Amino acid sequence: MSLVIRFKNFLDETGNIARFTARFFSVGIKPRYENKELFNQCYIIGYRSLPLVGLTAFIMGLVLTMQLRPSLVDYGVESQLPVMVGLAIVREIGPVITALIFAGKIGSSIGAELGSMKVTEQIDAMTVSGIKPFKYLVATRVLATTLMLPLLTILGDAISLFGAYLGVNIRSVTSFDLFFLQVFKSLDFSDVLPAIIKTLFFGFAVGIVGCYKGFNSTKGTQGVGISANSAVVLSSVMIFIIDLLAVQITELMGLN
Amino acid sequence: METEIKEPVIVIKDLVKAFGDKKVLDGFNLTVEKGSNVVILGKSGSGKSVLIKCIIGLLQSDSGSILVFKGNISQMNEDELDQARSKIGFLFQSNALYDSMTIRENLEFPLLRHWVDITKEEVERLVNEALENVDLLHTMDMMPSELSGGMLKRVALARTMILRPEVILYDEPTTGLDPVTSREIENLILKLQKKNHSSSIIISHDMNCVKNTADLVVLLLEGKCYTKGTYEELKQSTDENIKQFFE
Amino acid sequence: MRNPKANNIKLGAFVLSALVLMIFAFFIIGKNNNIFGNDFRLKVQFSNLNGLTKGNNVLFSGLQAGTVKEVELINDSTIEVTMQINSKVKSFIHKNALAAVGTEGLMGNKVVNISPVKGISKKVEEGDLLKVKNTANMDEIIAKLSKTNDNVAIISEVLKGTVLRIDSSAILKLINDQSIGINLKASLKNIYKTTSNANEMTIGLNHLVNDIKKGKGTAGLLLTDTSMASTLKDAIVQIKAAGVNANQMTNQMNTMVKDLNHELTNGKGPLNRLLKDSLTAKNISLTIENLQKGTDGFNQNMEALKHNFLFRGYFRKLDSKKKEEQSELLKSSQKK
Repeated sequence: MSLVIRFKNFLDETGNIARFTARFFSVGIKPRYENKELFNQCYIIGYRSLPLVGLTAFIMGLVLTMQLRPSLVDYGVESQLPVMVGLAIVREIGPVITALIFAGKIGSSIGAELGSMKVTEQIDAMTVSGIKPFKYLVATRVLATTLMLPLLTILGDAISLFGAYLGVNIRSVTSFDLFFLQVFKSLDFSDVLPAIIKTLFFGFAVGIVGCYKGFNSTKGTQGVGISANSAVVLSSVMIFIIDLLAVQITELMGLN
Repeated sequence: METEIKEPVIVIKDLVKAFGDKKVLDGFNLTVEKGSNVVILGKSGSGKSVLIKCIIGLLQSDSGSILVFKGNISQMNEDELDQARSKIGFLFQSNALYDSMTIRENLEFPLLRHWVDITKEEVERLVNEALENVDLLHTMDMMPSELSGGMLKRVALARTMILRPEVILYDEPTTGLDPVTSREIENLILKLQKKNHSSSIIISHDMNCVKNTADLVVLLLEGKCYTKGTYEELKQSTDENIKQFFE
Repeated sequence: MRNPKANNIKLGAFVLSALVLMIFAFFIIGKNNNIFGNDFRLKVQFSNLNGLTKGNNVLFSGLQAGTVKEVELINDSTIEVTMQINSKVKSFIHKNALAAVGTEGLMGNKVVNISPVKGISKKVEEGDLLKVKNTANMDEIIAKLSKTNDNVAIISEVLKGTVLRIDSSAILKLINDQSIGINLKASLKNIYKTTSNANEMTIGLNHLVNDIKKGKGTAGLLLTDTSMASTLKDAIVQIKAAGVNANQMTNQMNTMVKDLNHELTNGKGPLNRLLKDSLTAKNISLTIENLQKGTDGFNQNMEALKHNFLFRGYFRKLDSKKKEEQSELLKSSQKK
């Protein structure tokens, strides 16, 4: 019985998120635009996340290279290391790791921020002051996450590839030119474009889920904590689901 | 007690609001006249906050009507609501100052929203004036987190007043403050109200506050207007339900 | 929000750097793509792709030259492969170039190898169909190899028996005997004489046969003359016998020379010593030369004879009636 109730709750939640998303498209996109707040959120969400994303991307590139090397050496294709690492980073590791870190940092902060605003009636105060909180708070944040995550991913990819270059150089020597050439020779638009396009959706998911959770936070500090936590969990799961969809769509479109 | 009939500002008729099966407001009636302070008394959870949130349109009532300046809040679209809201001030229980903004920005925020074509000088002047009224001019560029509870309440009051609303709704303005600060806030409310000639609905269970500010006291019980009268009238009452507030 | 201008600058730098990186990456990838992006296509029809698929590399003389763009089944024994070729390579591929499905490494990806062929031919144009170079695929090679293995096994078995027999035979003992060497020297001299005789004989025969060949009229005349014919028949039978003998003899000589050769290379036994004598060596070489000449001449004779017989056979068929009459005449003349 409880399972049925939980399933119903799950469906209810899904329906609410869908409604929330629809509201973003019907309300959030129309004028008037909160440009100032949008830029402010872009700064907070994009620029402030760069150090964290950069650090994780660098370590990921380095570690991935060092982990892949032994098996490539076993097959005698060590020279293909830059190609392997480059493809892995650009197609999958870069976008997904960046999005997960992003979900951890931004999803939780949006969830907590909107949650506490909800709890301390700041959202009501906005409504009273003639500001549509959905536009001012939700639309700006969702737009900012959607726009910033692809940019973070590109920068993250670049840093990650640099990490990979250092990783290659730990055990053997390759020039930066050669590494660069090998990586880019193996890359095609069909590798880069789907990867960047899917990060738009990752960012959108992180923004929508964070805002939804915060916006519907229950009273009390516990409610804020739950919002922040469930925002991270749900957006991380969403990222993987979107990733799965993305790979199938690109497969269908024959871009793989 | 004034007996002459003044122009009504807010007229509430048969207001019903339910959350699930629980009817919080069940046929509530109230008329607020221009220039009068109405205090709504009630136990926690009796629906006082719900009532004023219905008045400003944060909550949608289930049935009944709320007329504010002769417009029915529950039938307005968003733009009309915004229009009506610009004439209504709301002081939140938790102040609801935007903690990501400085005090100045907090005060500017509603100004820039409601009066779109306002000049920069005008904004500056109004913000200064509002802060001066609450003696907090020096906090202009501070963040809300740097201020004490009493100061925050005063800033919130300044923000509510900055649009010169004709009706102000106070949600427990003195709750959580020490008696001295409470007195200050009460005096400020009266002072600003006199200055702006506004009416107000105050939610409180602080009897000192009620005593100092009320022209009319309304007791909210089981979703209905149980009784109403001046502070003195109610204090004399022998009704158990009324008496418990004055003990 | 404290300092919105500085924040905006940082945000601008952040957004710009990311966009610049993206545009840069796109530019480089675009440049890569353009090399292989020109619409220069070549086609080739295979009967078996061996797993070649879309996207596999195309190599021209081992140089990365493009990719497989399309694979289309035309009928049950023909698959058309469309290749996208780097325009830089275009001017080096000629119409007579051959294409084949190959493998990168032993177990790697399939590739199409285009190899140039010597000879003058025009340069390829858009959509040209290249010819297929037949190369064995791995499976065929393995199948053939296993057959070859079987054969080798059989041969080695036979060889083993032969070697064992040689080992136990008396020839080896003979060779090891020193006195044999001297005898051999003498017999070699005899062989030399014999072969020169044979040579003379065959030269004589040659003349004879040539004479027969020359005179068509003479032959006809000869054939009408019954007594001559019977003599000729006898002569031919004798020539044949001589030929067979000569043949046997040359065969024997051949094996002998082979054995000698073997001894020579091994450098052991009395034969070697024998051959250190330069005169003997000269003799042997002369002998072998004569032998060669003799057999050559004999060969020519045999050839000539064959032609003659064929001619005769043809003649006989043509005038079978006449022949019968002739034979009757022959018989009657013999009776006479």
